Amino acid sequence: MALQHNLPIKGFIETSFVDWHGKLCAVIVLPHCNFRCRYCHNTDLVLRPEMLQDIDFGSILKRLAQLKGWVDGVCISGGEPTLHTFLPDILAVLKQQGFLTKLDTNGSSPTLLQALIDEGLVDYVAMDIKSSLDEDSYCNITQTPHMLKTIKKSINILKTGTAQHEFRFTVVPSLHYPEDVYRVAKQLNGAARLRIQNFNPQETLDPDLKSLTPLSDKDIAHIQKRVDQLISIH
Amino acid sequence: MGSIVELKEHKNNTEKHSETTDLALFVRTSSEDLAGWDRQRIIDALIREAHVDSETADAISQEVQDIITNSKIKYITAPLIRELVDTKLIERGLEDARKKHTRLGVPLYDVDQLILHPNKENANVPHGPEATNLTLAEGIKKEYALLKVFSPEVGDAHMRGDIHLHDLGFVDRPYCSGQSLEYIKKFGLNLPNSLSNAKPAKQPEVLLAHMVKFAAALQSHFAGAIGWDAVNLFFAPYLVKKSDKEVSQLAQMMVYEFSQQAVARGGQAIFTDINLYWEVPKHFEDVPAIGPGGKFTGKTYGDYEKDAQRFVRALFEVYKEGDGTGRPFFFPKPLVHITEKFFRTDGHEEFLMQICDVASEKGTTYFVFDRGETAKISECCRLSFKLNESDLNDAKEPWRMRFCALQNVTINLPRLGLKSKGDDAALFAHLTSMIELAVKAHLEKKTFIESLLNLGETGPLALLTMNKDGNPYLRMFRASYLIGMVGLNELVQIHTGEELNESKKALKFGLKVISHMNLLCDKYSKEHGMHFVLEQTPAESTAYRFAKLDLRDFPEEAKSYVKGSIPFGEIYYTNSTCLPVSSHENPIDRVTTEGLFHPIIEAGAITHIWLGESKPSKESLANFVVKVFRETQNDQIAFSPEFTNCLQCQRTVRGLRDSCPLCGSEQVDGITRITGYFTKISSWNKGKIGELKARNKNKGSFVKK
Repeated sequence: MALQHNLPIKGFIETSFVDWHGKLCAVIVLPHCNFRCRYCHNTDLVLRPEMLQDIDFGSILKRLAQLKGWVDGVCISGGEPTLHTFLPDILAVLKQQGFLTKLDTNGSSPTLLQALIDEGLVDYVAMDIKSSLDEDSYCNITQTPHMLKTIKKSINILKTGTAQHEFRFTVVPSLHYPEDVYRVAKQLNGAARLRIQNFNPQETLDPDLKSLTPLSDKDIAHIQKRVDQLISIH
Repeated sequence: MGSIVELKEHKNNTEKHSETTDLALFVRTSSEDLAGWDRQRIIDALIREAHVDSETADAISQEVQDIITNSKIKYITAPLIRELVDTKLIERGLEDARKKHTRLGVPLYDVDQLILHPNKENANVPHGPEATNLTLAEGIKKEYALLKVFSPEVGDAHMRGDIHLHDLGFVDRPYCSGQSLEYIKKFGLNLPNSLSNAKPAKQPEVLLAHMVKFAAALQSHFAGAIGWDAVNLFFAPYLVKKSDKEVSQLAQMMVYEFSQQAVARGGQAIFTDINLYWEVPKHFEDVPAIGPGGKFTGKTYGDYEKDAQRFVRALFEVYKEGDGTGRPFFFPKPLVHITEKFFRTDGHEEFLMQICDVASEKGTTYFVFDRGETAKISECCRLSFKLNESDLNDAKEPWRMRFCALQNVTINLPRLGLKSKGDDAALFAHLTSMIELAVKAHLEKKTFIESLLNLGETGPLALLTMNKDGNPYLRMFRASYLIGMVGLNELVQIHTGEELNESKKALKFGLKVISHMNLLCDKYSKEHGMHFVLEQTPAESTAYRFAKLDLRDFPEEAKSYVKGSIPFGEIYYTNSTCLPVSSHENPIDRVTTEGLFHPIIEAGAITHIWLGESKPSKESLANFVVKVFRETQNDQIAFSPEFTNCLQCQRTVRGLRDSCPLCGSEQVDGITRITGYFTKISSWNKGKIGELKARNKNKGSFVKK
């Protein structure tokens, strides 16, 4: 395994309360993304990863060993982790060390996703849904054409498969309407969960979005409640 | 006031002035011209107050009269005469007499400033006429304390910043008090000098009213926090036949009553802690319960588990809501005790989720860990008392459970490092002499408080001498004397070159320092038959004051060690034994490492986890809390989120912001925990502002090349 060599790991959070519902987890952040979502808040990571320092995987493993017993699992986030060929290898190492693993993905690599699940390399997958599930909307938000078919494949893998999972939807006022979210919820019917997240205007790939006002906590809670109903109706 | 008549009225009859009221009346009715001039008044005052012999007094009065006559001034005030007399005492080398004869007061300019500008020493004091009164009174009592209560050695050490004597402006009160509701349940609200007396409450609402009023009475007799033990349990016998709705209503009343008491002493909210349990604590299980009318119900507290649980759940529902604008409640602070029995009690999982939900949403919950078989009652910012054998005996008659700390003296640890220049022996010698000084300060305060208590029912502390169960309310034999510390981190950094979190060696040295302090506390406790204990000083203003004074007295050496921004004056030392707030320790390391100090800090300690904007799931927090209980020695934790409250649209959002994201107004105030309580950031002192900027909010960040 080529893991000893310099991997482009750009971020390591030793303990997070927020990246894995109910668990204490560490987070490894990988660079690059094939999407250019207009509300992306990790622009350096996506556009200019060469400006960010690498963090040595060996030292990460050493630190994780010390946190064993406290940290339940490790979340691999990005950017888009599935763009990296070494992803299965680091997941395997983490599993070997006895950690649960979680993958954050945009769903653009269904084949790899299926393989990771089949190999038992991921315990939990969180997949972002970017907009209504139609070609135009998806392209408008991600600024990447022809993704819908691929995305739907990934959705299907998670919905019908055995892996624990959740879908996430970041609501951006003026880009999304509550109806879009509710439609997605209906389409995801049968999935474990669709988590509604609020948009953060502090740093955005499309600078025009910085002036947008996010929804209130109350609105988010309201949407979440409706979504929970829609996703579980049989 | 401040007229010449101050001297005149002393002339004939000193006995008349034993009551302040007479004196005030006399002043008001006096004329303010020089017609009343009488040299004899100077002589009388010198003999009576300063014990000067009559010949000297006569000579001085003559000299002063000459000055006044020669100056041809038309109006003269009593303070001026007094200062002139004092000058004459100094000329004669009568320093001791000068001190006795001195005058305590405030320059006009200062009063002007005080009335116009807020006081930032304590963020729990709002700005207003009551607050100004409090500050003025505190100012004079502070001077009084330093001149009269404490020896010059102790007073000077405080002034220099070697130590900090807390709440000097409240020198005539003990520091803090912890009790249970049982006292007012059994005896009613029957206080000395009160206008009417109430029999024991028959209804829960009345019990709450008694509790609030008694808390206010206690607030005016103690400097600091008022803590209540097992509040939900002791309310339970009153709730048996009450519907869930009625219980919710009562919970809401309790939280609002205590959080809106900012109309009491000096406009300050009563710093209230309520201790809460999911289970019935073991030491109360077989205790006969007191119910409506102050009568024993025939059952024991073990029988009231369900009603106690209903009440505590209702309280946390109120905390979850927040106030009318969604802000977290600042008071009463809910301290939930996590014990072995907690985990054996049905429904604890669900309750843990509820309090973690509140912790994530509002930050209000304090998690107190009572491991093994120790039981604790917590109060004040961090003060907690471990219940020992004699306390457990008290627990059988819980109205007897009244605890207090008489005073808190904090040691400026970094200064000891600056003085010792890396020499171990010198450092520990300095440390020992500082503890000796703190002990001396405690002895002096004890003597003073005892002299006030000895005045009994007619004295200023009559409330604390009321005796309904064979002991005065304030049980001096059970009092603790707190010794606190500020800036262990900086001391270790100065002495070893590394901060507490930078190496095992530095950490070990830090532990050695605190253990040494603890051993000395034990030694002096035995020697004096008093209970000296270490406490993590909240140091809301002390951490700022020490840093400022060290920067003044050791400018070259101290500038590399004080934290914060020197150009902005936003400087501070790290609180107590905490790791530096800016360190990127993750919360696990923080609770574990800081927890190593907690067992040696007997009077209580806490680790703060700054959440910033993030809002973790309740499940993740619960997961963490259980691990802290099982895997560490940490005594207490609290999670602190940050909020912005918009003064324009009256809404509250998560995170600290310059303007309201909902309405765009720049009229906003940030809210987060300052030390042991939540408050508005606009009321913070500069040192704490510096600390806030450095707090590590446990966010991941990328490092640019």
